[in-house]
Amino acid sequence: MVAHTRSARTARAARRLNQPRPALVEAHADGLPRRVNRQDVAVVREEWRVVDRWWTDEPVHRRYFDVVLETGEHTVVYHDDDGGSWFTQRA
Amino acid sequence: MIAAVVIPAFDLRAALRLRPRLQASPAALAPLPGTEQLVGSVTGAAQAKGVRPGMRLGEALAMCPELVLIDHDPATAEQAWEEVLRRLEDAGIAVEPVEPGLCYFETAGVERLYGGLEPALKRALAAVGTAWDPQAGAADRRFAALAAANVARPGQALIVSDDRTRSFLAPLPLQLLPLERERYEELEELGVRTIGQLAGLPGTAVAERLGPAGRRAWSLARGEEQGRVVPRKPVTAIHETLEFPEAVGNELTLRRGLGVLLDRLLARPERAGRPPRKLAVWARLVGGASWRRTVTLREPTADPARLRTALAVKLLELPAPALKLRLEVGELAEHTGEQLELLGSEGEAGRARLREGLRQVRAAVGAGGVSTVVEVAPWSRIPEARALLVPRDD
Repeated sequence: MVAHTRSARTARAARRLNQPRPALVEAHADGLPRRVNRQDVAVVREEWRVVDRWWTDEPVHRRYFDVVLETGEHTVVYHDDDGGSWFTQRA
Repeated sequence: MIAAVVIPAFDLRAALRLRPRLQASPAALAPLPGTEQLVGSVTGAAQAKGVRPGMRLGEALAMCPELVLIDHDPATAEQAWEEVLRRLEDAGIAVEPVEPGLCYFETAGVERLYGGLEPALKRALAAVGTAWDPQAGAADRRFAALAAANVARPGQALIVSDDRTRSFLAPLPLQLLPLERERYEELEELGVRTIGQLAGLPGTAVAERLGPAGRRAWSLARGEEQGRVVPRKPVTAIHETLEFPEAVGNELTLRRGLGVLLDRLLARPERAGRPPRKLAVWARLVGGASWRRTVTLREPTADPARLRTALAVKLLELPAPALKLRLEVGELAEHTGEQLELLGSEGEAGRARLREGLRQVRAAVGAGGVSTVVEVAPWSRIPEARALLVPRDD
């Protein structure tokens, strides 16, 4: 008998698309990102907040930033106001 | 016999074509960006001042402060080399180009044409042109022919008979062998400085110390290689050029220019209905440098839309605004027609194909390799809540 491997089981389960990935962000005192994944931020193009599911056990309080890095790369990062961590995600 | 034609420092000579005055002054090819800071080919004047190809840039400049560094001009070199090959082919010589500045050919056919080996080699040298200072060598084996061409003086040919091959190769320097620089240094540290000394070593010991490349060099040194000449198929020269009134860096304008060139190229009668298999985009940049990219199509086509798509992506790599844009046909397919489907693969046939493709992907990456995106809450403000990836096993 061969055990059902964990990888086979997880491979068949549906998963969320566009999951946030942890990011290494250094921020200014006002909370604006200064460096993202060791790259300097050239410009913060846009900023918005997402407050949702406040009525559940898993409320969402995020501060999103659409930034352009010194390398020319365009990326979106957010600060999770509940957990205090930074993530990157396609918005 | 096999003949080799060598043009020493071809890349530098080609880069200096537009600046002939520098040929007599100390000059060297600058290191390529992003590579080790070593100078490339050098002029005779630079060599007289102690500068050697492959020398560190700092050392070369310390030895010869007036050394002029020349930027690589690969497009000019490639164009000049193609002209040389065409002249050889026009003289009835079927050449196998190895790299710009080196080609081989079988002498058997042309010996009969020109009345002997020596006249044939002289004809080849004349076809290349005295301005390039070509050197020719002939022997029964490729490497011996190459070594003879390297030893010959500019404008001269050296013939090595088979029974003299080993004794001819023996005193020559190791640098003629195709080995990495570190290997030469390693061999020199071991006291091996000539091809004859390497040939005298046991083959197994050489293979153990230097690996397969060393073993191959050892075989060459002993004159044991059996390689033949595979001549290239002469290509039809079809190209179209567009000169801009001022430097253009705008992608849209460049794309339009490329579209015009493509239409003109496809209308050329020399193509005789054959679709291109290989194309090259060439540009003369602001500042005099050149740029070239080759596109080999998976399937030869004369469909302008497909060709435009394949070529346009290359324009994104253009490092500076262009003054001139050229489109060249590198190779044409032999066929003139394309086997099209009688009926479009819509409906069940298309779905069957898709299923087969997905089966192949699954076989290659395993279960879970194919998924469908299912939108569950596209209106959600939380990006990861909008869609799910659902594995498909059907």
